[in-house]
Amino acid sequence: MNWRKLNRWIHRELGFLFFGMTIIYGISGIALNHHIARHWDPGLITRSTIIQYPETLQKALVDRSTIENILELTGEEDNYKQYYFPNEEHLMIYLKGGHILVNLPAGSIQVTKIRNRPFFSELNYLHYNKPKKLWTWFSDLYAFGLILIAISGLFLIKGRKGITGRGGILTIIGILIPLVFLVIYLWL
Amino acid sequence: MQRSVLLALIALVAISCNQTVKSESETQEVDKTEKIVSASIIELLETPVEYQDKEVAISGMVTHVCRHGGQKCFVVADDGETQIRIVPGGDIDEFLVDMEGSTIAFKGIFRIMTAELAAENLENYASQEQHAVEQSHSSAEKAEYYIEAVEFKEVSP
Repeated sequence: MNWRKLNRWIHRELGFLFFGMTIIYGISGIALNHHIARHWDPGLITRSTIIQYPETLQKALVDRSTIENILELTGEEDNYKQYYFPNEEHLMIYLKGGHILVNLPAGSIQVTKIRNRPFFSELNYLHYNKPKKLWTWFSDLYAFGLILIAISGLFLIKGRKGITGRGGILTIIGILIPLVFLVIYLWL
Repeated sequence: MQRSVLLALIALVAISCNQTVKSESETQEVDKTEKIVSASIIELLETPVEYQDKEVAISGMVTHVCRHGGQKCFVVADDGETQIRIVPGGDIDEFLVDMEGSTIAFKGIFRIMTAELAAENLENYASQEQHAVEQSHSSAEKAEYYIEAVEFKEVSP
C-alpha cells in the first residue's frame, strides 16, 4: 500500500468513526462559545413572569404572612424553600426550581422558573468531561483522531488544488486567522 | 531450624511495621479531625489571617450559584447580610443552581488571595454585568477571602 492510499484510508475510516463525536463537540462548542460570551445559557432554560402585588412593601413590615401571600399569588406555595433580603429594596424568595424577586417599593413580583435545557445539557456534560473515567480516554482518542484527520486531509489531493497549490494557501489562511486574533486581543 | 527462626523474624518485623503504619494513619486521622475548625462566617471574616489555609466547616443558606459553570456560590451569614464566596475544590466539579435557597454545610480550606490574584479578581468583577440581586453578594465576590470546598451536604430544605 503506498502512503497516499494509507493516508486516504486513515482519513476515511477515522472520519466515519468520529462523525458522532465531531457533531457532539461541534454543536456543544457553538453553545459554549455563546455561553461564555453571555448570549445564551445552553444548560438552563429560564422563564420570568411579572405580577403586581396589591400594595407596595417595606422590608421592616415583611413577615411570614407576606411571604405566604406572595406564594399564593404566584401559585408557588408547594415550592417554597427560604427567603432573604439581598438589599433594602429587594426580597428574594427561593423556590424549588426557581425564585421570586420582589421589588418592595414598586410592589412588583418577578417569578423566575429554572430548569435544565434538554439535549444541550447532555452535550455539555460530555464536552466538559463530567463523566471523567473512561470518557477522558475516549475523548483523548477522539482529539488525537481529529489531529490525524486534519493532517491526512492536507494530503488527500495532489496538484494545484492540493497542499502545494490552493489548498496550501487556505491552510496558511486558516493558521493565520487565530494568530491574528491572538495578536489583537492578547499580545498587543 | 535457622530458616524457621529467620521466617519468624521476618513475620514479626512485617507485623510490627504494619502496626506502625496503622497507628500512624490513626494519628493522622485524629490530627485531621482536630485541624477542622468549625466557625461562623462572621468569625472567619473578622480575623481571616487566623484561619488562613486551615480546614474550616461552615453552614448557611446559598444565595447565588454562578450560572457560568457553577464555579462559585455564595453563602449568607446569620446576620442576613455578610456573605462568603465558596469555590469547588477536591472532587467537587461545580455547584448546581438547585442549591440556591438551601442551607448547606460546607467543609473546605479557607483561602486568602495574594495581592496579585485579588487585583485580577477585582478586574474580572468590574468587567461583568451587575444585576440588582447579584449586588447583594458583590462584597463577597470582590473579597480576597474564600473557601475552597472539599465536601458539602444539604442540611435543609
